Formats: sequence, structure tokens, C-alpha cells
Amino acid sequence: MSSQSSRRWVTVLGAAVSAVFLWVAVRHIDLGSVKETWRTARPLPWIPLAMAAYVVGHFVRGARLRFLVRREAGLQVTTATNVVVVGYASNNVLPARLGELVRAGMLAERTGIPLTQALTVTFIERLVDGVAILFLLVGASWATHTAGWIAELARVGALVFGVALGGLGLAVFFPAALGALASRLSQPLGRRAHDTAVALVTSVVNGAAVLRRPVDALVIGVLSVVVWLCESAMFVAVLPALGLAPSPGMAVIAMSVTNLGILVPSTPGFVGPFHFFCSQALLAQGVASETALAYAVLVHIAFYVPATVWGAGAMLWYGVEVGATAALARAARRSRGVESVGGVPMQIIAQLAESKKEAEASAFDLALTEAILPPGGSAEVTRDSARFLAGQIAALPTRVRTLYGIGMSVFRFWVRVRYLRSFCGLDLERRRAAVAGWAFGTIAPLRQLFRAPRSTVLLAFYEHPAGLATLGAEERRRLPVATTTPDEAHG
Amino acid sequence: MAEAARQRTEVLVVGSGAGGAVTALELAAAGRDVAVLEEGGEHSTDDYGKSSPDAMRLLYRRRGMTPILGQVPLGYVEGACVGGSTEINSGFWHRTPREVLLRWHAQFGLAHAGVDEMAPHFDWAEARLGISKYDGEWPKSTRMFARGIEAMGWAYQEVPRAAPGCRSTNACASGCPIGKKRGMSHALWPTAREKGARLVPHCRVHQLLFERHRCIGVLAEVEVEPGRRVLARIDADHVFVCAGPTETPALLRRSGVKFHVGETLRVHPMLKVAARFPEIVDAHQSVLPLLQVKEFWPDVSLGGAFFTPGHLALGLSDNWPETADRMPRFRNMASYYVAVRGEGRGWVRPSKLGDGATLIHYDVGPGDLKNLSQGLARLCTLLLAAGAEEVLPAVRGMPSITSEDEAIRWLDEPLPKANLSLTTVHAFSSCPIGERSEKCAADSFGKLRRYENLYVNDASVLPDSPGVNPQGSVMAFARRNALHFIDRLS
Repeated sequence: MSSQSSRRWVTVLGAAVSAVFLWVAVRHIDLGSVKETWRTARPLPWIPLAMAAYVVGHFVRGARLRFLVRREAGLQVTTATNVVVVGYASNNVLPARLGELVRAGMLAERTGIPLTQALTVTFIERLVDGVAILFLLVGASWATHTAGWIAELARVGALVFGVALGGLGLAVFFPAALGALASRLSQPLGRRAHDTAVALVTSVVNGAAVLRRPVDALVIGVLSVVVWLCESAMFVAVLPALGLAPSPGMAVIAMSVTNLGILVPSTPGFVGPFHFFCSQALLAQGVASETALAYAVLVHIAFYVPATVWGAGAMLWYGVEVGATAALARAARRSRGVESVGGVPMQIIAQLAESKKEAEASAFDLALTEAILPPGGSAEVTRDSARFLAGQIAALPTRVRTLYGIGMSVFRFWVRVRYLRSFCGLDLERRRAAVAGWAFGTIAPLRQLFRAPRSTVLLAFYEHPAGLATLGAEERRRLPVATTTPDEAHG
Repeated sequence: MAEAARQRTEVLVVGSGAGGAVTALELAAAGRDVAVLEEGGEHSTDDYGKSSPDAMRLLYRRRGMTPILGQVPLGYVEGACVGGSTEINSGFWHRTPREVLLRWHAQFGLAHAGVDEMAPHFDWAEARLGISKYDGEWPKSTRMFARGIEAMGWAYQEVPRAAPGCRSTNACASGCPIGKKRGMSHALWPTAREKGARLVPHCRVHQLLFERHRCIGVLAEVEVEPGRRVLARIDADHVFVCAGPTETPALLRRSGVKFHVGETLRVHPMLKVAARFPEIVDAHQSVLPLLQVKEFWPDVSLGGAFFTPGHLALGLSDNWPETADRMPRFRNMASYYVAVRGEGRGWVRPSKLGDGATLIHYDVGPGDLKNLSQGLARLCTLLLAAGAEEVLPAVRGMPSITSEDEAIRWLDEPLPKANLSLTTVHAFSSCPIGERSEKCAADSFGKLRRYENLYVNDASVLPDSPGVNPQGSVMAFARRNALHFIDRLS
């Protein structure tokens, strides 16, 4: 079957599953009443609060992903969170939970770990999610005395996740045996297949290794529970929007049932299964069917919108970055002729603009330099020091330079408010006082801001003959020049 | 076919420092077709020995503005010129200690790197660089330091240097103007050229190019003649990335090679102090102090730092209102340091803002802070015992330490993290080598995992902190890896 044909079948199957669930969810419901329920709903502040809880949950998921791969890669929490959210956003726009593959692919791209290992990590995440959800569901059912089909669902879920956990346990606790098994089973298939199988199993084992230490497994478990408590908070926050009491037990049950339900691959955004399971969970707790469906729709909005918008932004950001790399590689294929530079053959791709010239000191640089330098220096040494400062600041990485620029803008604004004049318009004494207040004050970030100008300007000043002269030095630095013979000077 | 062959280089080496120069020399000596791409310029000794600002403009990466960010920012510099950081370091030389090699074997599965296996490579490098001790009377700043060490009764050593016949010009950090300090441009490049290695200065590699798991060349910005820059593709059969501990992982990651790349940066955090003696020391006119206290190795080393009036002012700038009045007495002063092994961990990433910058992050570990505090206490005690009237650390709020009682306080108390002005010139381990694939970017000989013909061969390959000045380790490993590569080719 071609990949295009596979995609079509996945889409059709997902749509069919969704249609069935949607039909079952709404078949006995008076849609007019649902409309009326929405009309009387109070979205503020509940829906934004629900979205905020959901977003916090994603950051906890990011922290968990970072922890899961920390032996293999040093992901930052923001990057890890973006990987998670891109997965969620992809599930919102792709059918049949294909977002899980996107998430694993992006994890592999960001960290360099093999795709199979990234898939294993994604599988572990989903597995511990399932266990955490079941844990919360059982707790909430017990607390609210909910039984019937929800208890049955919990039992089925426990069976499914128990089997999966058992499989994972093999990879965690018997990695060598698993490797040997893969090797033995794949040997008859030839060397290539054997090596591929062993590499695959090694990747899976490496991905699962994080669960080997009980403390690590516990951390992952706790983080998972926190993730789903945040998601439960989203479900709680929507209840008052429809005039329902914010019952944590009800919300946890709705959250658990909904999330277990949408494990079924369906259409993009789980439209259908989400609404069915969410509303059924509320119905089981005595909520009217129209209100339950209205609730499901509102929760789905809180679930769908932030992840999709955030995920789209993250995909755009990383897409631009990866695309730029790919574009450069593509550009490298278009040669405009060969040149030999220093005896090395090169395919010329493009002519480039001339390098940037040395940065010139601004009036602010000069005023700042004067305020930092000790008295007694000539105008020349002050100017040279300011030029050196400007060059050094221009050489900083853009991110650091931007932070420096923002910090100095705040400083100049503060000066204007404090002295009612611009920094450059102040007399030298006041400029010195303003700089000293920040550069040597008690607030660490302000001191850090002035660290670069303070040290570069002082370095330039005392390396300058005129600056050195202010110390009353009798001799200059370069004593050995007088004792160097021309032969030595040229090696 | 012949045309295509002429348009390819057999081995491209990115970077011409301690790793790249050794690699190029060995490959050229083995008759291989080698080209070296260097981002910085090529300079003669006439350009060396200038003032620090001029040297920073000419020889340093981003003019010395490559801060390492983290809870405690570290000032970090490295060379960006032919010869790399070997042109601007002090030339101190250590072999990789036996226990470090054993640890690398145990923890990283680093194979074929025992003391005996490394010895010929160290012998080779030491012969090339003329590694030797200072051949005159120790300068005053060294003698003062020795006096303090002897008063304390601690173990120490005079560190051999790659500077035979050093004339104490005190220009190590701005390039030795008389060529006595043997940086790579002076010690190896002439021979490498004789053997056929070609060098392209002012050539910044943007990206490695791949076809599946094979690196087919690089995309680089090249100054083909003054004022004319082009973007060019340079094709090669094999590529060695030797761009240093920060640029190597940045280039690899920019090119999509990320597995264990740039995740494990290690440094030797360093805290400097200035000591004021009653007598004239004239440290600004002599080579930096040549001794290192080994009593507390591997966690802590004490030694001497580069000194000029400008660097003194830089060191005093944290407490400038209280310490500026010491400047006129700079002739009585010298600089020293406490360096620690570096238990923290950092990372390296290419900037996403298209400025070609590299973002470097390092978190000073709790062990580092403890070692820095105790090291400062011991260094101050030593210097006071040597006769210093006061010691001025680069710690805000601590302008001057004048008694042993003040100093030993830091044996038990941690220094205030937010007040430290730390620096480092030793960075490594950003692409560790070894057979443990779960923590190493490359195999024991620097071949990157999953790539057929891509190698790293500079300070980034050291699996973790060597605990000593790393130039010796970098050169010895670079030669070992280059010879292994040649063996494999043959």
C-alpha cells in the first residue's frame, strides 16, 4: 500500500470513529437546550483560568520530558515543553494520534537521539500518563462513591496499562535478555536485519533505562500525577462557567474518563470521542445531558485552542530554523564556478557583502566612559576607551547585546526620571554618582549590567600609555622591547 | 572524473589550534591531501605583543567577549587566529594525569588511552614545542609565591612551558612578540606547510554538508582577497572538526549533529586575586608566576595569573570605589588565582538569531563553590605568609583581606555566589569520546557516532575535566587520533 493510500485510510477510519462517537453523544440531546446553556454561560474568568491551568500542565510535561531524556540530552524546559506542545497541536490537526509520531520526530531532531529511542520515550510518557490517570480515577471514584461503567472502565484501563507496564518492565529490568532475544530471533533473517533489530532494541532499552532507578521512576510518577492534576484543574475551572459547583472529584472523573476515551485514534482534535466521554462522565454524576454536552464543548475549546496556537508558533519557529539549515544546504548545490583559494578548490555559491566596520562610540558611550574612568585622563584616552567599549559591546552575542541594550535603556530612563535630564546632559559628578549607584550598588543584576562597560573601559584606560601615565609610572609596559634583538623579534 | 577529483580535498580540518594543527601536520606528513580552514587571520610576530585591547581585536574570538552565562557568569576567552588559543595562552604544559586517564577509561570506556599508550604522543609534542622549565632566575612575582608556599609547607611544582628561551616579555596573552612561546603558528605550522598542508585563513565554516551519514564537505564564508567575501562549498572525503570546545559543538549542532554534542561542557572556574607587597615586584614586566600549588590537586590548584595595569584594574573593578587608590602602587602588585576542577556542567548551542554567535552556559556546582572558597582562603594565607600586605580578591564586597584570620573564614563558609567575578580559560568535554555510547558523542578516536567520515579532534573530545592545563592533553589526543585515522585509511 502506498503511503498516500495509507494516509487516506487513516483519515477515513479516524473520521468514522469520530462520527460514531459524535452521533452517540448527541442523538438524544435537545440541541436547543444546549444552545441556551451556552447563552447563559459565564466564560470569564473561568475559561481563561482553565486554559492557564492547561498551559501550566504542559510546562510540567516539559519538565518530565527533560527528566526522561536527561541522560541522553540536555534539553531546556522550554524546548522540551515545545516538543510536547507540538505533539498535542499535531494531534489536534492530524487524525489517529499521528501527533505522537510528530512529537517523537521533533524530540529526535532536537536532541539527536535515535527516532526509535524518541518513540520509546513518547511511549513511556503515554504509559505513565495512563497509570497516573487511572490512579486519579480510582481515587476520585472512591471519594465520590462513583461506580457502574466508570469503575468498569478503570478495570479495563488497569488491565491494558498493566500489560504495557509489564512489557516496559522487561526493557527496564532485563535489557540484556531482551537484546539477546532480539539477536537470536533476527539471526536467521540475515546480518542486516539482525543489526537493525539489535539497534532497535538497544534504542528501546536506552529509552527505558531512565526508569531503572526507583528514585527516578518516583520522580516521573509524581510529575505525571502533577500533570494530570493540572489538567483536572482545567476541568474544575470550567464547571462554574456553566453554573455547576466546582467539584474536584467530578472534574477528576471527567478528566480521567475523557483522556482514557480519547486514546482511541480518531479525527483531528478528538472531535467526537472527547465530547462523548466527557459528557458521559458528567451524566454518570447526575448532570443534565444538555449541560454535560455544553460542558464538554467548552472544555474542548480550553483544551484545543492554547495547544494548537502555541504548537503552531513553536513549529513555525523550529521550522524556520531547520528550514534555514536545509536552505543553506540546498544553496550549496548551486555552484557558480570553482576557485582555488590558498590551493584549496572551492565552489563559489554567492558573493557576500563586505564585513561590518569597527563600531564607533556613541555620545552615550563617551559619557558613560567618562563617568567610569578615574579623573586625570586626557581626552584622547577617554575617546579611545569609549571606542574600545563600543567595539566590545558590538562583539557580544546578539542575545547578550540585546539584554545589555535593554538594561542601558532602563538606566537612561531612570536617570531621566531621577535627574530630569538625559544621562549625556548631566554634569560629570552626577553622571559618576548615577553610574556608581548601579555599578557598585546592592542589586546584583544592575551590577552585572555595568560589569562589561566597567571592566572594558578600565582595561582600555590602563593599557593606554596616557592612562598609565596617570599612575605616575616612570617606565612603560614594554620593557623587553629594548632588550630584544632584531633577530629574536623575527623569531 | 579527474576534474571531480581536483575539486575535492581529501581531508578538511576545521580549525588550526592545538587540535587542528597537530591533525593537519600528521596527516600531511603521512602524505595525505589536507586543507585547514581557520576563521581568524594569520599573523606574524610583528602583530604580537600589542596592548591587550589591540590583541583582543586581532587574536581573540569576538574580541574576548564570549561570556559563559549561568548562575554565576564566567568571563571566558579563546583565540580566533591561526594557532587558536595556543597563541594567547601561557604555554603551561601538563601530561594528562594517570588517575584522570584511568577515570576516563572507567567512566567513558575510553579505549587505548593508558599512560603508556599516550606517552609517545606526549613525547612527540614536548619535543616539538621544546617543553622546558624557565631557564633564568625566577621573576620576583614567582619568588614571592615560592616564599609563601614554602612558609605553608605545601607541595608545588614549577610548571614546564612551551616557551624555551622565554625572555619574560609578559606578552603571553597578546602573542609572544619574539616567538619564544611556541604557539601552533610558530611551532607546527611551518612544518605542516612544508609537508603540503594548505591553510585558508579568514574562512568561517557555517555548516557541514551531508549525504545520509556521510559528510561531503562544508559551506563556508571565505575572504578570498581583502574586501571580497564569498559563500563557498568545499568538498572533502573526510572532515575533522577542530574548532575548539565551544565552536566545535556549535558547528556540529548547527549542522544537525546533536547526539551528546554540546551537552557536557566542563570548565575550570577560576577566581583571581591581586596581592600587594611592600617591595617592588614589577609583575607587569615579567612572565606570570611559574609555580602551581599541587597540595590540594585535583580539586584545587593555586597559581599565578597574567598581570598588566589594565588587567589589575579589571580585577579590582568589582570594588573600584574602595580599591582604585591601589592602582598607583601597581609595581608592588601581582596577580594569582585559585582554579578548581569544575564539578558543574554546562552546554553549548548555536545562537538562533543568525548572528553566528555561540551561546555558552555553565552552572557552577556546589562543590565548585566550596573548593573556590577554601582555595581562596588558602591562597590568601599563602600570599600573606609570603609578605603581602593585603590581598584583593575579585569578589564584590570583599575589597581587601589583610590578615590570616580574615582569610581562613572561607575555609568553612561559602563565598557569596552572586558576588563572584569568575573567569576561565580552560573549556573542554563538549563532545566527549569513549565507547560508552550513552554518554559519548564519538568513539574512542573521535569518529562521531552514526557518521562514516566525520571526526572531532580538539579540547571538546576530552571526556571530562583533566584537572590541569589542557593543551598537553589536547595535543597528545589529537596526534593519537590522527595516527589512528591514518592507520584506518591505509
